[in-house]
Amino acid sequence: MKTPPDENQIVRWLDGEMTATEKSAFEAYLATDPALKAELDSMCQLGETLRQNLPVERPLPHADFFNSQIQVRIAQEELDQKREVQRPAQTAPWFSWLRMPRLAFAAALLVLGIALTFWQPGSGLSTTVVSSYAPNPVVQARAFHSEEANATVIMLDGLDSLPADRKIVGHHVHRTESDTAVATTTLFSESGEILLVLAKGADSHPQMIQRTPRS
Amino acid sequence: MRLLAISFSILAMLQTGAPNLTAQVSGGGFSVTPSASAPATDGKVWGGLIYASSAPSANDLDGKALPKGLQDLPERLNKVFKFTHFELLGQHNQDVFRQYESWVVPSRDLFLKVDSKGPAEGGGVNLHLQFWQEQQVLVKTDTVLRVNSPLFIGGPKWRDGQLIFVLMLTREEK
Repeated sequence: MKTPPDENQIVRWLDGEMTATEKSAFEAYLATDPALKAELDSMCQLGETLRQNLPVERPLPHADFFNSQIQVRIAQEELDQKREVQRPAQTAPWFSWLRMPRLAFAAALLVLGIALTFWQPGSGLSTTVVSSYAPNPVVQARAFHSEEANATVIMLDGLDSLPADRKIVGHHVHRTESDTAVATTTLFSESGEILLVLAKGADSHPQMIQRTPRS
Repeated sequence: MRLLAISFSILAMLQTGAPNLTAQVSGGGFSVTPSASAPATDGKVWGGLIYASSAPSANDLDGKALPKGLQDLPERLNKVFKFTHFELLGQHNQDVFRQYESWVVPSRDLFLKVDSKGPAEGGGVNLHLQFWQEQQVLVKTDTVLRVNSPLFIGGPKWRDGQLIFVLMLTREEK
């Protein structure tokens, strides 16, 4: 090696990724450049010190939740890829006859008829809890499906009871308007009256601002 | 200062009761402008906060007032929670936005943050849910919510009973 090594070569040498030939050429050049050799020796020393003083493995906080999140993301990516593969098939030429309005209408009626014949409310898959996690270590989240109730349930064991004298204020929210620019959601009643404004604070926690009726 | 300005402006909007308006920050100031076109959604959910107890109440839940597919909600809740009387404290119909979070707030005391992760295989919507009690997250969950299949979340005990959050997908985008 006659020219000075570039940054990439230096990193590969430091990481031990060079082939034997590359390594001997690199080290032959180092012998001719004492300044670079001193710098790299110092970097090697620093790396060794860090390796000795930092643990190789660090426990991951909330590992179960982290793992479940990764599994969800993988499943979602697989689903997205599958959709991408399926998309061209939907525009295949044999489908082009559906562009004719009358045939398309007849086909739609046929599909509707079949659907009405076989469809039953509540049939099909149920709601599924993929993962659940209670940040408060005292609280345990249990998820299960109740066939009897035809519902999926998350039970939160260990929650503190609310004081009996506390008033729980309910709302009947008809519609909302969100503004992502200022991170607010305005909740309206059926009559169009503003019930609440939910704004997110700097810590991303929701702040509720309730309208006080005018006296 | 900016946050303070936003807070004051929201309060001002509440005082005037201006309907169909949304708040916007522009050039360091704060203005109220007509809302933009409807954002993309992955479906619609109904969220209800229920007070379950064993004492009869004048406000016992009437199934007829509930969305289609939930008219038998008291009977279904009874199968899980063993209470006999159920009162609907609040309810909220909410679009599940595709690009940003949605909030289901039948009560300011217990409410839900909903993030859509897109349509699920076999129907329904993949959701990340956060169940909040005021400033505290009680549970975070990844759930595939499907039409006509509600999710019950057993909340804190209150008085002689328990608060229950019910979430149901009432419509999904095909």
